[in-house]
Amino acid sequence: MKRIIISSLFILAGLGIQAQHKEKSSFNDSCHIVELNEVMVRGKQQNNNQHLIRFFRSNQAATLEDILSRLPEVSLVRRGSYGMEPAIRSMNGGQINVMVDGMRIYGACTDKMDPATIYIEPSNLENLQVQTAHSGFLNGSSIGGTLNMKMAGPQLLNDKKITGSFSSGYQSASKGFYESLLMNYSSGNWAFRVSGTYRKNNSYRSGGGETIPFSQYEKANYSISVKYRIDDFSYLKADLLGDDGWNLGYPALPMDVGYAGARIGSLSWHSDNVKKTWYRKEAKIYANRIAHYMDDTRRPNVPVHMDMPGLSKTGGFYLEGERALGLNSRLHLRADGSTSVLNASMTMYQPGELPMYMLTWPDNRKNQYGIGLSWVYQTDSLTQIRLNTRADLVTYRLITAEAKDQVSIFGYPDANRTDWLKNGSVQISRSLLSSFRVSGGISYTERVPTASELYGFYLFNNLDRFDYIGNPGLKNEKAWQGDFSLLYTVNKNRFQITAFHSRIANYITGIIEPSFSSMTIGAGGVKKWINIDQARLTGMEASAFLKPFKSIDLISTFRYTSGRDHTGRPLPNIAPLKWLTSMNFAIHKFSARMEYETASRQNRFNAAAGEDATRGYFLLHMRMGYRTTVFKTQFNIQSGVENILDKKYLEHLDWGNISRPGRNIYLQVTVGF
Amino acid sequence: MGQVRPERLFTKFPSLYMKRIIISIAAFLFAGLIFISCRKDDVAEPDPTAGLAKITEGFASGAATKVQVFSNRSSILTGYTRLYLALTDSASGNRIDKAQIELMPMMDMGTMKHSSPVENPESTAAVNHLFHAAVVFTMPSVGGTWTLSFKIKNSVNGKEGILTIPVTVTEGTKPAIKSFVGANDGNKYFVALVEPAKPKVGINDLELAIYKRVSMMSYPADSSLSVQFTPEMPSMGHGSPNNVNPVHVRKGHYTGKVNFTMTGFWRLNFNFMQGNVVADSNQYIDIEF
Repeated sequence: MKRIIISSLFILAGLGIQAQHKEKSSFNDSCHIVELNEVMVRGKQQNNNQHLIRFFRSNQAATLEDILSRLPEVSLVRRGSYGMEPAIRSMNGGQINVMVDGMRIYGACTDKMDPATIYIEPSNLENLQVQTAHSGFLNGSSIGGTLNMKMAGPQLLNDKKITGSFSSGYQSASKGFYESLLMNYSSGNWAFRVSGTYRKNNSYRSGGGETIPFSQYEKANYSISVKYRIDDFSYLKADLLGDDGWNLGYPALPMDVGYAGARIGSLSWHSDNVKKTWYRKEAKIYANRIAHYMDDTRRPNVPVHMDMPGLSKTGGFYLEGERALGLNSRLHLRADGSTSVLNASMTMYQPGELPMYMLTWPDNRKNQYGIGLSWVYQTDSLTQIRLNTRADLVTYRLITAEAKDQVSIFGYPDANRTDWLKNGSVQISRSLLSSFRVSGGISYTERVPTASELYGFYLFNNLDRFDYIGNPGLKNEKAWQGDFSLLYTVNKNRFQITAFHSRIANYITGIIEPSFSSMTIGAGGVKKWINIDQARLTGMEASAFLKPFKSIDLISTFRYTSGRDHTGRPLPNIAPLKWLTSMNFAIHKFSARMEYETASRQNRFNAAAGEDATRGYFLLHMRMGYRTTVFKTQFNIQSGVENILDKKYLEHLDWGNISRPGRNIYLQVTVGF
Repeated sequence: MGQVRPERLFTKFPSLYMKRIIISIAAFLFAGLIFISCRKDDVAEPDPTAGLAKITEGFASGAATKVQVFSNRSSILTGYTRLYLALTDSASGNRIDKAQIELMPMMDMGTMKHSSPVENPESTAAVNHLFHAAVVFTMPSVGGTWTLSFKIKNSVNGKEGILTIPVTVTEGTKPAIKSFVGANDGNKYFVALVEPAKPKVGINDLELAIYKRVSMMSYPADSSLSVQFTPEMPSMGHGSPNNVNPVHVRKGHYTGKVNFTMTGFWRLNFNFMQGNVVADSNQYIDIEF
């Protein structure tokens, strides 16, 4: 592995050396990493998302989940106030990639309590990339897209001074505290960044005054990052990120989490030199370890006490490069590989009996190797063609005799798999009448089933109250997706509307296995993962950015998705129509923001998946910010009231019909130094 | 000669060169022989009773034979008990690998006596110096005394003798033998669990041995029943999928498959049929691991 990485590094470096000192073409003149990446990966029409993210991040009290929930492509599956699971265009779990800085991280929880989004605090977030179907597979085969959280790195200010900020905040609904410290130091070619965040929230109060039990959580997140500048164009970076959570409540699940810990480390090399043919190069090796311990000791009336530990270990690498091909086209190349081991077990204790022990994730290893290629060709000043393609080789192996014995119960003597995944897309965009830009694309994508879907052993789903067993014989999901988008820009106003349609073949879903008896006390039966012929998703997203006056920004987003399976039944986990409007008023050091959020009633639900109809709601939020400098110290005060009307509400993707927080008054003070 | 360099010497005296080669080859072969013979000596024969526990021993006096009785468990529990017999000539101490052995267990309850099902060694030849037998103890040594008689016909010296030894049988916490009176024919049947001896999470071989009581002294193997079973965890209220009902294979032994989805306390509920008639449906055997 190491040898491959090193030799690949040399190959990349070698390619870079044959630079031809070409003139920059019109579309890669931005040398800012983030922007370049955005333009490169997502296409111009997607830039709307960056506007949204920038806008919502300006509220520094916003959590990553707050920001994500405001993006029209993203919806969140909620099982507690912590660890909401992101979905892109209603696809989630194994259908999408959730990455931290291009690294794969697999949750160690069989109940999906730990999506990788929990490891990134907004203070560590440099950028958020949401890539939908066309380009969403470039970093890893997926049918739904990729959510990549780019972590902030140290800044080479070379001032030999410690700079940074300290934030402290309070939330009234959960009587929650937030403390965060961020420091940057640089000297010569070295720069260091450390950050630490601590959050402690009690069980929150929902609209109307009811306290939601088991919605508390406590966590600490800390990171250290070191950057070494090799020359003007390249640097090395080492990152270590730790995250510990204690007593994390999941009111919609029968168990909470006693402790969850993540250790994420990486070493990377970056090079940006627009004068070189390969003008951007990046190589990274990484490893992470996630440990997760579910806990039922705080719950009343537990029929049988159980321990459910889970462990996920991943190591991997990637190499990325971008180069120009002539004046009008450029190429983005990514090669990556990773190996991950998952295992989880359950031990139940019945007094007077020997402990009942089983593997809920029979020990398995997933290896993945892939190459992604993106080619952008500017045919003329108006038209751009983009071709994306990626192939992945994915293997799954059961790695212990114990695991094989267990899976053999279901009649799968050989549960190992090897899959080739093929993905490709074509996208064309064209400017019309100077203020319009239309783009359309079509993509074909594939994904492998997850470890839970292949090997899960009586994994209890509290939404439909069924035990799920894996099926190593599942076929890969294959999706065709087409989308069409229209962007209208006039002055500083932008309107965009996107419509999409996906057909997913071999859609993976659970069906009742009547001959099996459920294992979880209180479960309604056993479901087995199977492929159904087809599922379809149709939807649209729209957003508007208006700047009627210099001091006013108005942002409005709208989304609607509808999904159905081969029999015409609605798919589960489809959020209803949601419309969000935010008006920001900024003058000098003061800003005020009024936000309303509305969702329609969801009547298209899947009863077999344990869903029911969800009422619509209307919410009003009010935010204020004030920024000042006193004795050379910057102060940033953010305050506001969320859910002013103290509405008792929940979203359709919230499990267990548990109400969301009611009126919440927050205050956050950030001191910069 | 000492002044001449060896290679030149060889060219001068080819016969000497040949001689050297022959000597080297011979030395090589000799060394090899030593090596091989050493190896032979080094490899001690593995102890055939490794991993087994000695239950008892005694002399079958008429046969001039010492009998050592081993089992896979250190104490004898009710149910199907595997016994491994090692015979030696009591005078010479040599192993006896050929003998005809018959076992006769006897329960003396004072007012009455009864035997129990046995499986005598299938052949007069020992398997790896051991004679494999089994006794199905139908009750513990409570309210009576178990004795076990071995009738040995030593094929080496042609003598015959009997060894009778007392054995203590205890009831395990989870008895692996059940009996019932067939509702169909009024006969008493004994059902003993043979496998899984070492249960695991996953697929396990399930093996039962079924015997019919013909008289107090005769318990022949029975193949007339058909067996259905369902495993369950009584404290959890669930079973396991994809089990295979045991069917008769030979000598009253029925084999099938039982799946355990986790460790812990399992109960196998049985339904014994004779044709379409239920013989019994109340028996169960517990397994905890």
